[in-house]
Amino acid sequence: MTKYAMAVDLDRCQGCRGCMTACKVENNTVEGNFWMYVFRFEQGTYPDTEMSFLPRPCQHCDNAPCVKVCPVGARFHRDDGIVLTDADRCIGCRYCELACPYGVNYFNWQKPENAQYTIVDWQDDSLDPVTGGLVPPYKNPDLDQLWGEEQRRTAGGGHDKGVMEKCTFCVHRVEKGLDPACVETCPTDALVFGNVDDPDSPVSQYLREHQTWQLLDEAGTRPSVFYIGGSPPSREVTEIERPKATV
Amino acid sequence: MVSDTKVKRSLPQGVGQFTPKWMLFTVVAVIVLIAGIAAYLYEASQGMIVTGMANTGTQGGVTWGLYVVMVEYFIGVSLAGIVLASFAKVFRVKALRPISRLAVLLTVCSLLVGVLAILIDLGKPIRGIINMLLYVRPQSPFFGTFMLVAVGVLLTSLLYLYLDGRRDAAYLADIDSGLRWYHRLWAMGYKDTATERLRHRRTMFWLSIFVVPLVIIALSTEGLVFGIQVGRPGWFGSLQGPDFLVLAAASGLANLIVLTAIVRKVLRDDYILIEHTVFNWMGGLLLAATAAALYFQIVELFTLLYATPGNERQLADALLRGPYAWIFWLQLALLTFGLVLLILQGVRRRWSVGVSVVASVAISTSAVAERYLTVIPSQTHGMMLPYAPGSYFPTWVEFTVVAGLFALGALLIGLFIKVFPIVPLNGMKADQEVLVDA
Repeated sequence: MTKYAMAVDLDRCQGCRGCMTACKVENNTVEGNFWMYVFRFEQGTYPDTEMSFLPRPCQHCDNAPCVKVCPVGARFHRDDGIVLTDADRCIGCRYCELACPYGVNYFNWQKPENAQYTIVDWQDDSLDPVTGGLVPPYKNPDLDQLWGEEQRRTAGGGHDKGVMEKCTFCVHRVEKGLDPACVETCPTDALVFGNVDDPDSPVSQYLREHQTWQLLDEAGTRPSVFYIGGSPPSREVTEIERPKATV
Repeated sequence: MVSDTKVKRSLPQGVGQFTPKWMLFTVVAVIVLIAGIAAYLYEASQGMIVTGMANTGTQGGVTWGLYVVMVEYFIGVSLAGIVLASFAKVFRVKALRPISRLAVLLTVCSLLVGVLAILIDLGKPIRGIINMLLYVRPQSPFFGTFMLVAVGVLLTSLLYLYLDGRRDAAYLADIDSGLRWYHRLWAMGYKDTATERLRHRRTMFWLSIFVVPLVIIALSTEGLVFGIQVGRPGWFGSLQGPDFLVLAAASGLANLIVLTAIVRKVLRDDYILIEHTVFNWMGGLLLAATAAALYFQIVELFTLLYATPGNERQLADALLRGPYAWIFWLQLALLTFGLVLLILQGVRRRWSVGVSVVASVAISTSAVAERYLTVIPSQTHGMMLPYAPGSYFPTWVEFTVVAGLFALGALLIGLFIKVFPIVPLNGMKADQEVLVDA
């Protein structure tokens, strides 16, 4: 069996938000949508302040509240633990977004092409001198493939108006044996991904060697994301440097 | 029937008489409806970006906005009508009989509008209809909203309205008028023989008994949509279902009182068909429902006041003294004001139509505000992760679409009154017959 999980080592995270950027580039997410988000917290009063960071991907819960409330089974839980949205089945009721205590769901309020980070037409001939005819990952064809045993269109969120999207653990990369883009990019190796059913996998070893905690344990969602170091965010912290981008 | 004479009867209760005032009302309603449709088409082409909604969390918005508030309100309003009509039927409350059809009509129209509001709120409305049939999951509370309410209760109420009017339709089908085809269609071969009448009465009796639990179960799921969510402050709790029903009963009765007062005006000389006693009945019932609703509100208020530090406290602060305080205290004041007016009338045992209407409008407005407070604040305040508080204000598109929904409901009721007698005809046929020489 395969059971995917992610370890987030907060003692290593430096809050650079590189994972957020990698996610955006890989999944071509809509402006203002952050499937991977890194909280930057501040605690105390100047000069006795302390900063802390908390990366927040989808927690891919084993007892996912979003899966339970979806009226049409568009949000589903794969046997390998990845929670996905079938962009072709989602009816856009947004109930999953409200059921999720982590706030990881993003609805496409408009046709995403109007709001991509890059609004350049890459087929435009006048760009050839710069791009040499290459189409950047923004048009990643993998995002439109059907993935997994279920053969459903789950990667990249479908980029359709009126449907729900969220972190897919980069299912299109995982299916090819690659790590999610955020894990691949992290300069301090604060993110570790892999199969926890394989005792020799890096993530299994990492989880064995460290004490872990889970985000909002009390909600009973049984996440597949394990945190190491740091502490669960309290009410004492204030979020700083929120993203400026809007929908 | 007298030989050599033709029975010439006119349609009762102003049916078929499209008066200038009615035309004016219809034109205004149609204009508002067209504006609503135009606003929705604009939204459909641009995406829901033109609404005031945004994602919760990093975008600091609400993902369920005014549309869901109105879904809750409209579906709530539908409760009282059919239950009241069934109650009158099963317990043979003669006093309520004249408004039973109007009551069921209110249920049907508010449900139609409520279901339409659900579809309007979906990102993919057409896919929503298809996929709810193909892939429906009973485990989701939306099964209740889509299947039990939108399909079950709506179809049952339509069936109730249809069957209950069949006898009258058979009578009207004998009258030579421009609407004869319609009345014939409604009667569908019903001749009002003794056997038919008995079968009819039995069917209506059992349908009345069956419909009450169906409505209560179905509408409770509207509260469960919120009540089973642990991920939002202020939502999780077993009282959401009953709370929804109690306010639903109050808002439904309030709407019915206003509607009855209007219909009485419209009926002109026929207003005597709706005796004043119906206001005593409805006033008393509204008093009970409003008192129960206020009780729930006060229990909730105390719970909010004692909320412990954390997400619940953050939400409580937002409601009691934060950005939502004016709505919170206003709706509480309106509900109390309505209740006081009803109590004063009850104590004096004199139910004035005017005062009842004022109380009803206050209670109904309070219900809209209460639905707003159920849906919206939990999305902007007290998120379980420390996101900064969000905010929401509906845009002109949302207001126009909602106005269009109200106009559609009013239009349907207005149209019905002109094509079918709104007060059941039983026992008054003789008065309507005019014998003329051939």
